[in-house]
Amino acid sequence: MSRMSQSLVLTLLGGVVLWITALTRSYLNYVKPGFRPFLLAAGVVVLALGIIGLVQEWRRPYANAHDEHVHEQRGKHAEGHDHTQAPKVGWLLSLPVFAIILIAPPALGAFAARGEDAPIRPPATAGSYVPLSGEKITPMAVGEFIGRAWDFRKRTLTGKKVRLTGFVVRSKKKDRWYVTRMQMSCCAADAIALKVAVLGAAPPPDDTWVEVTGTWVPPRSRKIPNGTVPPEMTAGRVTQIPQPSEPYE
Amino acid sequence: MSDRVAVESSTEIPPPEWGRRSAAPPAAPRLFALLAALLVVGRLVLTPLLTAPALQTWATVFVAICVQALPFLVFGVLLSAAIAAFVPPSFWTKALPRNPYAAVPVAGAAGAVLPGCECASVPVASGLMSRGVTPAAALAFLLSSPAVNPVVVVATAVAFPGQPMMAVARFAASLLVAVAAGWLWLRFGRSSWLRVPSRTARGGSKWAEFRDAMRHDLLHAGGFLVIGGITAATLNVIVPRTWLASVAGVPVLSAVVLALLAVVLSICSEADAFVAASLTAFSPTAKLAFLVVGPMVDLKLIALQAGTFGRAFAMRFVPLTFLLAVMVSSALGGVLL
Repeated sequence: MSRMSQSLVLTLLGGVVLWITALTRSYLNYVKPGFRPFLLAAGVVVLALGIIGLVQEWRRPYANAHDEHVHEQRGKHAEGHDHTQAPKVGWLLSLPVFAIILIAPPALGAFAARGEDAPIRPPATAGSYVPLSGEKITPMAVGEFIGRAWDFRKRTLTGKKVRLTGFVVRSKKKDRWYVTRMQMSCCAADAIALKVAVLGAAPPPDDTWVEVTGTWVPPRSRKIPNGTVPPEMTAGRVTQIPQPSEPYE
Repeated sequence: MSDRVAVESSTEIPPPEWGRRSAAPPAAPRLFALLAALLVVGRLVLTPLLTAPALQTWATVFVAICVQALPFLVFGVLLSAAIAAFVPPSFWTKALPRNPYAAVPVAGAAGAVLPGCECASVPVASGLMSRGVTPAAALAFLLSSPAVNPVVVVATAVAFPGQPMMAVARFAASLLVAVAAGWLWLRFGRSSWLRVPSRTARGGSKWAEFRDAMRHDLLHAGGFLVIGGITAATLNVIVPRTWLASVAGVPVLSAVVLALLAVVLSICSEADAFVAASLTAFSPTAKLAFLVVGPMVDLKLIALQAGTFGRAFAMRFVPLTFLLAVMVSSALGGVLL
């Protein structure tokens, strides 16, 4: 890689990172909101390195062609030893750029959440939940709903109306579909699906974002251990909504 | 002979190309404009076509791994380039003990002060080696720094509330593995296996040297990070996680399986504690194996190490570290947890 291609790849990479972080909110499809300052800093550094390199190349035009040629020659013998010459593997850094721009990867959806019997893990915050009001509809995170539903002794959900927000994952079973939210601890690579089965409502298409208002259905048998089947709720009302800006929980 | 000197001499004495200046205009802006235009057209034409859910899921995971690792990589490369450009080589011979066997644990313990994840540690370790630090000591640092630094220890303590021994066991096991691996490499390793990245001393200002080193390291390490990201994303999409649940109850096997999961998932060491905590079906010892292996061996690290230190090195060092990590964490987990 000549110095110019190096600078070009870095400029593109830094530019695209700043684009998804500073100009749009699509970085939320990949990492947690708190990661933004680090991404901004990294984007600025990479972009600056690239632009400084491009400007330097541009400023010495006549030396350029000659210099380039010499570099190519040297590169064959001394790959990786000379700092003006980067190994060819550096070209791969343009792949994330192409992926971001051309595929525009959305937040993980029904495809990733598929798998009828995937293990469902309890949310990290399990343990201390505030008591729910009896009258009002309480908006609730899907993870909290699952955590409460698993806490058999307290039964804090019994008879309470709650509203869950998530996307639709259809089920093989006819009587239900899942309102789903992906939970990630760091980036989308470690995301897992939190699912609540919705009974008594016609299934919207996969990946539709919905608000479901309903009540928890206690499991018929207490012998099923936590995490083997998703908790269930009856749906009072299902409203379609646009995708929230923070798609993960 | 450095390039910079060549360039400067050619600016002082007009080269034969002088007259061709107008005939060969600078290519950079044109190439850049062309690429940008192609990307915009691609966005308009291709994006509506590339909507297969499997492809999108793969791309999301791939981009997530790259985006998530980038800040740490940039930090590591900054630090490594700063070491290369601004710290004189004599500093390291003074700071570390002469005896390489004593230098290994010192370097391993030094990992505790550098906050960063494993993507940062590879360029830093290679920078240390090229500055004359004993490879075994730099390797101990490479293994320990992503696992024992304060940020990771705090994250582990937060992820396992009420189980303070998990953070302690992780710290102890990681340090032990790092030092043991360093000593074993010192005793049995051959210098021909390890390609120590050499840095040619160059003319020019410190800042130019700093920028060149950074650009080079970033592209080099970044390229291998992308290879690791592609592999991890592919396995992430192909291998269903349900396969894991079936082995959760088996004692030794579960530790090995979680260790392998850590290799496949390639999660940053500052976040893996939260993932480990969520694997509720597994024993604490198996989770410890996940936490000890993850920062030392994973797909993106294997790619980075093979790229930086050579394939012969990675072929030997990766299995050694993996075995040591599983053994030490199983033993310590049995005692402490």
